[in-house]
Amino acid sequence: MKNGRFYVGLVGVGLVVAYLVWTGVSDSMVYYLTPTELVAKVAEDPAFHSVGVKVSGRVVSGTYSRGERELEHRFEVHDLEHAEVAFPATYEGVLPDTFTDEIEVVLEGQFGEDGVFRAHTLLTKCGSRYEASPEELMGSEVSA
Amino acid sequence: MTALGEFALWIALPVSFWGMTMGFVGGRQGRGDLVLSAERSVHIVFALLVVASLGIINAFLTDQFQYWYVANYSNRQLDVFFKISGLWAGQRGSLVFWAVLLALFSSVCVFLNRRRNREFMPYVVGILQGILGFFIVVLLFADVNPFEQLGFVPPDGAGLNPQLQNYWMTIHPPVLYLGFTAFSIPFAFAMSALLSGRTDSRWIVLTRRWTLLSWFFLSNGIIFGMRWAYEELGWGGYWFWDPVENASLLPWLTATAFLHSIMIQENRGMLKIWNMSLVLLTFLLTIFATFLTRSGLIESVHTFAENTRIAMIFLAFMGSIFVASVVLIVYRLPVLKAENQIQSFLSREAAFLLNNLILLGAAFAVLWGTIFPLISEGFTGTQIAVGPPFFNRVNIPIGLVLLALTGIGPVIAWRRATRRNLKRNFAIPVLVGLAVAAFLFGVGARDGYALITFGLSSFVLTIILVEFWKGTRARARIEGEGVLPAFLHLISRNRRRWGGYIVHVGVVLIFTAFAGRAFEVKLTDTLEPGDTVSVASPFGHDYTLTYQGISSAREANFDRWVALMSVDRNGEPVGSLSTEFRWYPSRQMSTKEVGVRSTLLEDLYVILAEAEDFEGIVANDPGAQRIIVEVQVNPLVGWIWYGGVILTIGALIGLWPAAEVRKRPTSQSAGDSEKPAAVGAVSA
Repeated sequence: MKNGRFYVGLVGVGLVVAYLVWTGVSDSMVYYLTPTELVAKVAEDPAFHSVGVKVSGRVVSGTYSRGERELEHRFEVHDLEHAEVAFPATYEGVLPDTFTDEIEVVLEGQFGEDGVFRAHTLLTKCGSRYEASPEELMGSEVSA
Repeated sequence: MTALGEFALWIALPVSFWGMTMGFVGGRQGRGDLVLSAERSVHIVFALLVVASLGIINAFLTDQFQYWYVANYSNRQLDVFFKISGLWAGQRGSLVFWAVLLALFSSVCVFLNRRRNREFMPYVVGILQGILGFFIVVLLFADVNPFEQLGFVPPDGAGLNPQLQNYWMTIHPPVLYLGFTAFSIPFAFAMSALLSGRTDSRWIVLTRRWTLLSWFFLSNGIIFGMRWAYEELGWGGYWFWDPVENASLLPWLTATAFLHSIMIQENRGMLKIWNMSLVLLTFLLTIFATFLTRSGLIESVHTFAENTRIAMIFLAFMGSIFVASVVLIVYRLPVLKAENQIQSFLSREAAFLLNNLILLGAAFAVLWGTIFPLISEGFTGTQIAVGPPFFNRVNIPIGLVLLALTGIGPVIAWRRATRRNLKRNFAIPVLVGLAVAAFLFGVGARDGYALITFGLSSFVLTIILVEFWKGTRARARIEGEGVLPAFLHLISRNRRRWGGYIVHVGVVLIFTAFAGRAFEVKLTDTLEPGDTVSVASPFGHDYTLTYQGISSAREANFDRWVALMSVDRNGEPVGSLSTEFRWYPSRQMSTKEVGVRSTLLEDLYVILAEAEDFEGIVANDPGAQRIIVEVQVNPLVGWIWYGGVILTIGALIGLWPAAEVRKRPTSQSAGDSEKPAAVGAVSA
């Protein structure tokens, strides 16, 4: 009947959306890892060096420097929980405003066999969530 | 004053629970005295929350850094403007702000319905007070009390994140929150319809304007957020499919679907269960958005320990609302039967239904992509993320179908379109669309999706123009009016319809602007004073920027380094641009301020990416002038903002109470809310 034909249409639209989501996910998904997980992954399977991954960690304070090329940035990233797990990273492009040399970052790129993470995107964790600890507030001075 | 605010928040808790109980009990037992008490409690909660909000603002204005919230979001140097907006700058204050806005709408709703729609009001008040009570519980018991004290008085606050010290960022959250909270009213009426058993289309008629009001604020809130990102984040984009952005888009998508599907229920008596489900879903998504934007659940999964209590409370609240509403819908299923069936694929019903399915499909895809890292971790133990390519890949085709429906839906016939109806309405627009796409292809545009978008946009605009022309011409002939008076009378006689068409024009412009991104141009260059950089616009001309130099200055709140460039277009000087780097010592943070030269068709957008030697510039060292800039040409980007203005005009026309209703205020419907509409006009 009429409505039966209509449900076919409904299912059709559902299938198209499902197809788009499915192929979209399989084409653009990347592992989202902590530095510890990433280091463990490449130790397990060296082929993982050529796989694009997303990794979230914190910039090691004092390691930031400008690279030789235009807009090339070098710094080290360490795990948020295991600070001893760290590796050098490079990024080419304009840094976000919130970037400092101790900020939490999410890098997307490849962890090369030379142990350097080459990021093609760099995100900093959202600035609106920035809240100071009581110790920081205690020490803050009235700046002129 | 601030202590009074905290006190008011505590008093609001029992009052809201009293109102909720009295609303439900009064409705159940038909006791008018209890209902009246419940309604009064709404005004009291509103007053108490206003006092609480003023308490917070007062703490900001008087630099009371003993409060954790003030210490974290303000400092002595902060502009008064940003001190006042400190109320919604962070999680804690914005939850109070959310509650006070909901209380405002609840209060207006109770006032407008003091003498009519009495069968709905007991449960409406009960539900609204329940939602308010929930937010007050969160504020008081979920470690987010804005009145929490540090136990010592810091000499100064940490200051406001400089990225938030931007006009757009100041109005973006409140407008979005107005949209989120306004949607509680349609939800309350829908649930009240189920509870009271009055399940005909009355609740939809009563809340139509509230829905539109909510949608209007959501749209503007999202656009303001895009504007902020474009100006402040300095990468030339305005949308990144970030979880926080997605959270605000989700209720917009389902509210848009709802706004269309209620028309089918009104006209054809169909989709009753669907509309109940959509109103529930949209309401839950507004709560989800508030929760997600202010809890950091997604963005910091790896450091989840932050505040799980608020997450648990929110999830429990959404869960109970969901279960209770679904039980109610199931209980009333027998009376939610459709009065008609869809007769043909080629009908307005079918077009609207497709629009709904597609919007829901988009909402599902966006939600799926947003929470995908959590889902994949649950199943595989490893987080897998999807980025902007996923969202673009799924949503561009969906958006194109939606764009086509924007034109088809309003003019295709109800029930069953005849061949004649189709030919008469669509022949010319289809030809115009194809001609535009062919012309653009001919002049060298090669991006497939963009060409389809431009073609479809022209198709839709032609349809709308023809409709306006036909209506105006008919009116001019019948009433013997001139073209302009006929046009204005045409709109005012059916504001909802013509306002809707104008909204569609705005949406089309915005989609066109999205397609413009396919032709953006960007390059970076290292410059010494006197150096030039050239960039070619996709519209055929080129810009040459000459770097004049960089200088530093000290402001009250920050230090700035300003790079100046002069701009030539096709060799003719057209002015200058400056882009700067700012350093905020109190926050130890920097921002880049972009330089933008906007024209109707494109923006020339310049970012100071890096300066060689900041101290050298301060010391006026001529050897320290080298900078790196990124230069972009962003075609059509301005059309988002123009589209937003047109959308606002259309929505205001739709919101305005109809002329005949204004003459007889007693028959005014619950949705007639002149006041919020006027507020919208100011904020827009």
